[in-house]
This record gives sequence, structure tokens and C-alpha cells, in this order.
Amino acid sequence: MLTFVVRRLLLAVPVLLGVVFVVMLTVELIPGDAVALMLGEHATPEAVARLRDYLGLDKPLCVRYAGYVARVVRGDLGRSIQQNRPVADELADAWPATLELTCAALVIAAIAGVAAGVVSAVWPHSLFDGIARVGSLFGLSMPVFWTGLVLIVVFALWLPWLPVGGAGSPAHLVLPAVTLALPSLAMVARMTRSSVLEVLREDYVRTARAKGVAEGLVVAKHALRNAAIPILTLLGLQAGQLMGGAVLTETVFSWPGLGRLMVKAIFARDYVLLQGAVLVFALAFVVINLAVDLAYGALDPRIARQG
Amino acid sequence: MNRARLALGAMLAAALAATVVLGAFAPAEAQKRGGTLTIVRPTDPVSLDPQLETTAPGAWVYFNMLEPLLTMDEKMQIRPALATGYEVLSPTKVRFKLRPGVKFHDGTPLNAAAVKFTFDRALRGNPPARWASLAGSLSGAEVVDDLTVDVTTREPYGPILRTLAMYCTGIVSPTAVQKMGEGFSRAPVGTGPFKFVEWKTNTHVILERNPDYWGDKAPLDRVIFKVVPEEGARMIALQTGDADMVLLPAPAQLPALAKDPKFVIHEVVGGRVVFAGMNAATPPLDDVRVRSALLHAVDRKAILDNILEGSAVPARGVLAPSVFGFKDMQLDRLYPFDRAKAKALLAQAGWTPGPDGILQKGGQKLSLSWLAARGRYPKDGEITEAIQAMFKDVGVEAKVQFLEWATVFTQFRSASFNHQMFTLGWVTSNADADYSLYALFHSRQVPPTGWNTSRYANPKVDTLVEQARRNMNQTEREKLYGETQDILAREMVWIPVYNTKEIVVTRANVKGFTVHPVEYNLWLGKTWLDK
Repeated sequence: MLTFVVRRLLLAVPVLLGVVFVVMLTVELIPGDAVALMLGEHATPEAVARLRDYLGLDKPLCVRYAGYVARVVRGDLGRSIQQNRPVADELADAWPATLELTCAALVIAAIAGVAAGVVSAVWPHSLFDGIARVGSLFGLSMPVFWTGLVLIVVFALWLPWLPVGGAGSPAHLVLPAVTLALPSLAMVARMTRSSVLEVLREDYVRTARAKGVAEGLVVAKHALRNAAIPILTLLGLQAGQLMGGAVLTETVFSWPGLGRLMVKAIFARDYVLLQGAVLVFALAFVVINLAVDLAYGALDPRIARQG
Repeated sequence: MNRARLALGAMLAAALAATVVLGAFAPAEAQKRGGTLTIVRPTDPVSLDPQLETTAPGAWVYFNMLEPLLTMDEKMQIRPALATGYEVLSPTKVRFKLRPGVKFHDGTPLNAAAVKFTFDRALRGNPPARWASLAGSLSGAEVVDDLTVDVTTREPYGPILRTLAMYCTGIVSPTAVQKMGEGFSRAPVGTGPFKFVEWKTNTHVILERNPDYWGDKAPLDRVIFKVVPEEGARMIALQTGDADMVLLPAPAQLPALAKDPKFVIHEVVGGRVVFAGMNAATPPLDDVRVRSALLHAVDRKAILDNILEGSAVPARGVLAPSVFGFKDMQLDRLYPFDRAKAKALLAQAGWTPGPDGILQKGGQKLSLSWLAARGRYPKDGEITEAIQAMFKDVGVEAKVQFLEWATVFTQFRSASFNHQMFTLGWVTSNADADYSLYALFHSRQVPPTGWNTSRYANPKVDTLVEQARRNMNQTEREKLYGETQDILAREMVWIPVYNTKEIVVTRANVKGFTVHPVEYNLWLGKTWLDK
């Protein structure tokens, strides 16, 4: 088990190196000069050239890449070009907020989604099932910035229960987490429904019912445990989606997270900050994938035995 | 009548007289002390130090903490700030007398050495300040004595006073800069009515009242600048009371808010002109008849009424009215919307309608390539498309390429510009005509040196703007700029569309606030809350 974990973590290194290179290459290829943008419309060409030299941006891509990797290995993520502040500080300010939001959204999506899906599967074609299926379609289709603003109008303006935006108290987390969770919740609900329905048709479920096991236990212990694998895969994938979707949600709710920071960095061509932010996301993906794989092992002994 | 009654009568009379006299001097509404003003705007500053930040998000905040030598009031008149008076010693040297007894927020005194330090740091630092490029020929400051400083320029520089009144030339505390190093950019120390408390990145900046301010102390206790990127969310925050003031409000909601007594809309014509520019270096736009025809082809009023819906005013020239040296070019008289006239001018220039309705000459179609961004200026994309359609009506084809602002900006700044039309906005940062007319229309200011994207070249205009720049007599300068704009009006290389309005919306209980034509000058020193 330990070797499995270590091996997976080691494999993460080339992934991260590749991610950094792709980001650097992409920023290089996009037209738009970071330095000229920073100094604004009224800068003289001498000022631009001087700043470019000062920031070391006149060196070729490979040299910059090698330099960057060498520094990252030593723990130095560089300085934000725009803010002239260590990238590590900028990221440290922002990533806990995104983590909080993503986790909250994942929990909401997982619990509410699975619950809704199970109820739909146990009583298929009922009124609840019908509402849940239409609701899923709605949640999947509506864009985040629309649902977000609607929720703000309803719960902050008409019913002054919750704040409009920003962070600080648990009340601030409710609306953004729910908004972010909605599409994932919808998908999890549908997946759970079909997965559980399928499992409920299996022979071992019929056997358990025949044995006289209570229906609740049949569903919870036998059915759900076996239906969990595809649901878990989906949740793992959704975790990635949620991190990406956080960008829009963070903008609508003024949530001070990594997504907003990344957008700011892209518009300013602040590639040092951008790389730092992308690295954090990539690392998070790696960790999530690892966690999902480990969870498979726990859920299905057959997978664990294969190692 | 006994003496007691007489005395009482006299006292009452005196009291009455005193009330009347005092009543004449009492303010209309009694200013109330205290309270926190919450302001929402879309972006977080990059830095609170003008050395690193000249754009609005930072300027709005540090304008209340750092003060320049001079300031411009809402009528764009120069007023004393940290300097109480000045004397022009020579065309390259102006002597300023500093206000005595002023202290920085850290307790150190304001003196000539601090002014010299600020300018040296900005102009000769490594790298130099972001605002150094806005400062023209400013070269530094010399200490004469504690309260007297000589500001020097490299060559005679007429705009020097307005340059020193710019929001970004605020004097910083040398002690603080030396002690804090880079930390200064996140916690500046100046002389203003507010001082820095806290900056939580991407969330808020908090300022508090400076009780030792040299002028009228601010009525407010605290100001909180919050970041709310989504326009809809900003407006909702204003309605729920989470915010007292919104910067960059949603234009579509303004008519509704105007009717609501709970809110006040503050607006004034700002300093930015948004225009469709023409590249006069290459055919067919090197022909002034073609350019005039295009001006006649555009219905500017229709654009203002239908696309901008009251959030801007028609442009009256290449400068905004708040700029020193502005002359109304009377575009509606010189270039009224007249499709027949446009077609006639184009025919005169040798363009005849082709089989598809597009004009042609010698086998070549009158097809213009147009570079624009979307969303950089209000409704820039919509205006470009509208003008494109208006051109089609007179037989001119325009092929518009919409790219992201950063890309468009890079192309504008490059030495070779392959498009014939472009959409751009220009703000005169120091509110002096030199800043714009020189950079935009001098023949040697073609990118990347300057901003003459139109590649306009007229030796007479060159001479006029050079003379005006070097002249220290403001009346003569105004005349020279008037002549310049007359010439430009006859040879227009721009289709000016609108002047932005600086619009700020507040809740009705926010008093003592006046919006300034320069968007960066967000003065909160007289603002108070009527609870």
C-alpha cells in the first residue's frame, strides 16, 4: 500500500513539470506583452525595455523554464510581475478560500446528490423522481453566473438572510457553495440513480431480500456499496470541475480565491503568478486522483488485491 | 419701566441679534462626525504606491493618503495642496513654498527633502516609477531650505503645474520608504486626511481618519474599499445597504436609480474621448476627402442615443472639455450626418460604385481593415459595429477584427500598423492639452515612441504643439492649442464618438461628495454620513 502511494506521488513529478511547460509555452504564444500592459498606455519604449530587462523577460523560453524549475525545487515560486510580491504569499492568501469553497460544494453535491439519487432509485417514476430529474436538467444547464445572481437577489435582496458576497462568516459560504455545487449535484444524482437502479436488479440483492434482510439495510449495505464505484469516479472528476468552476463562482460572489487570482494573472500576462496558481491546481488534481484510487481499494476488495 | 426689565429686554434683543447673525453663517445641514463608508468597485489594486500603480483601483485609494504639491478642484482649477505658493524662476525651474507644520502619518515632518526624495525615487529609481512616463520633462527637485523646493524640468515645460497636480505625484514619507522597503507598496505613508489600516488582497482595503491632518479633518471615521467583480452583485450590494457607494455602476440600472430617492447619482463629464481612428499613412485614408466623407457617413447622435443610453455625452473634439486648452471643434457644423455629402465626396475622390454596391477605384475595392477590442471602453464593440454598418450605407466596406485588449494594445504599440481603422479611447492624464495633442498628433510621435497611431503628419501642427509645450505663459499656450485644433478639425483623422461620464452612485445618506472629472481623483475628505 505504501509503495503504491509513493509510486503515485513520484509519478506526479513529471506531470507537474509538463504542466508548467505547457503553461509557459501557452503564455509565450499568446500575443500581448506583459511589460507594456503593466506600464500602461502612456509608457515610453525605453521604460518598457528597462522593465523587461529588470524582470528578466528578454531571455529565451527554455532558459526561463530551466530557471523556474530550479527555483521551484528550492521552494521559490518567484515574484508576481504585476504585484512585485512573492507568488507564494499571493497563493497562500488565496488557496484556503478556494479549498473551503470547493470542499463545501463537494460535500453538498455528494450528500444531496447521493441522497436524491438513492430516493429516486428506490421509488422510480414517482413524483419525487420526476421532480429530481427535471431539477437535474436545470442544474446542469443553467450557467453559474445566472444561478449565482438569482440566488443573491432572492436570498440577499428580497429575503435579507444572507450577505451579497465576500468571505468571512459561515453565512458567506452558503450561497457560493450551493451555486457551485448545483451542476455537480445534478450529475451525481443522475449517476447515483442509474447506478443504484442497476445494482438493485442484481442477483445478490434478490438473495438478500429473500433472506429477509430489511429493505433499508439492503439498499444501504449491499446496493450502495456496490453502486459506489462509478459514483466515486464521478465525484473525483467533479472535484476537478469544481475547482475550475470556482473561477466563475468566485467572481460572482467576490470570493477571494485562487480562481479569481488566476483570471487576474491571465489578463495581466503575469505568467509567474499564473504558473504558481496552475501548479497548485495540478497538485490538487494529483492528490484527488490518488485519494480516489485509495478509496476504490477500500470499497472493493477485488481492486485492492490487484494493487 | 424698572431697570431689571430694561436689562432683560436688552439681553433678549442681544440674544436675538446674535441668533440672526450666527444663523446666517450656520451650514445648511449640520455635518455629522463618524461612521464607516463602504465603497465597492470591480478590481483590487496592484499596489498602493504610485511608484508601481497608476491605474484607478490603486489611485482611488491612495489619492486619500498621499497628497501632491498642487491639486485640481472639480472645476479643473489648480489649487494649493502641500505647496502654498509658487514662483516661476526660469522656463526650467519653478520654486514652491511648502506648507509649514505638516506631518506624515508616521509623525515625520513634510519638508523639501521629502519632495526631492519622492521625485528622485520616481524618476531615477531602478526601475523608475510607473508615473515617470506621465511626467513629461520633469527632471527632479532641489532643496533650497526646509520649506522651499525648486522643481526642475529638462527643457521648458508649460504643463508643469498640471503635471504636479496629478494624482500620482503624491509626496511620500522618506523615513517610511526606507524603513519598510517593499512593504511600502502595501501600506503607504503620506500626509492625507486618511491613513492606511489594512489590505486583505482581493478582498478589501481599510483606511481610517487622520486626526492630525493639516486641513479640515475628515468627518468619516473609516473607509472600506471592497472588491466586487460582478457588476450585478455591486448594484445589489448598494440596494441591500452592504455598500454605500458604487464605483463603475451598471449603466442599464441608472434610469431606475435616478427615480429612487434612496439613491443619488453623481455624474460629471470625464476626461476620456472614445473614437474611431483612421490610419492616414496609407491609401485610401490618406485622402482627406475620403476621411471627410467617412465623418459625414456616421450618425453620431444615433449612436449616443441608442447605444450609449445616456451614460456618455457626444464628443466635441479630440479633447475632453475638462482639459486645459480644449476647443470645441463644432463637429456637428463641420461634419453633419449627411450620406449624400459623403457619397459626393467619395465620388470626387474617384470612387465609383461597383457591382456589389461597394465603391471601387481602378479595380480596387474601398475595403478598410479595422482592429478593435471589446469591453475595453463602454460599448466599444457595439459602436464599431454600428459605424461599420453606416459605412456600408455609403458603399464603404469595413472588415472588423475583434481581438482581446492585450493583443490589440500590442498591435497599436508596434511600429507597423496594418489596419486602416481602429477603435480607441484616450484620457488626458494631466488634464493638459500638451499631453494629448503632442503624443497623438506630432509627426515624430508615431508608435512605439508616442501614440500617433493615425500617422498624422502636418509640419504646422508639429511647430504649434512644440511651441505650446515650451511656453510657460498659459494664455499663449491656450491660443496655440486653439489654432492646432482648428487645423486638426479641417483634416480630421479621427471620428470622435463620445466623452465618458464619470458616474458614481451613492445611497442618499452619503453627503459632501462631489464626483471629479478626473476619474482617479476620488476625494473623500469632505464626505460624511447622515445617519
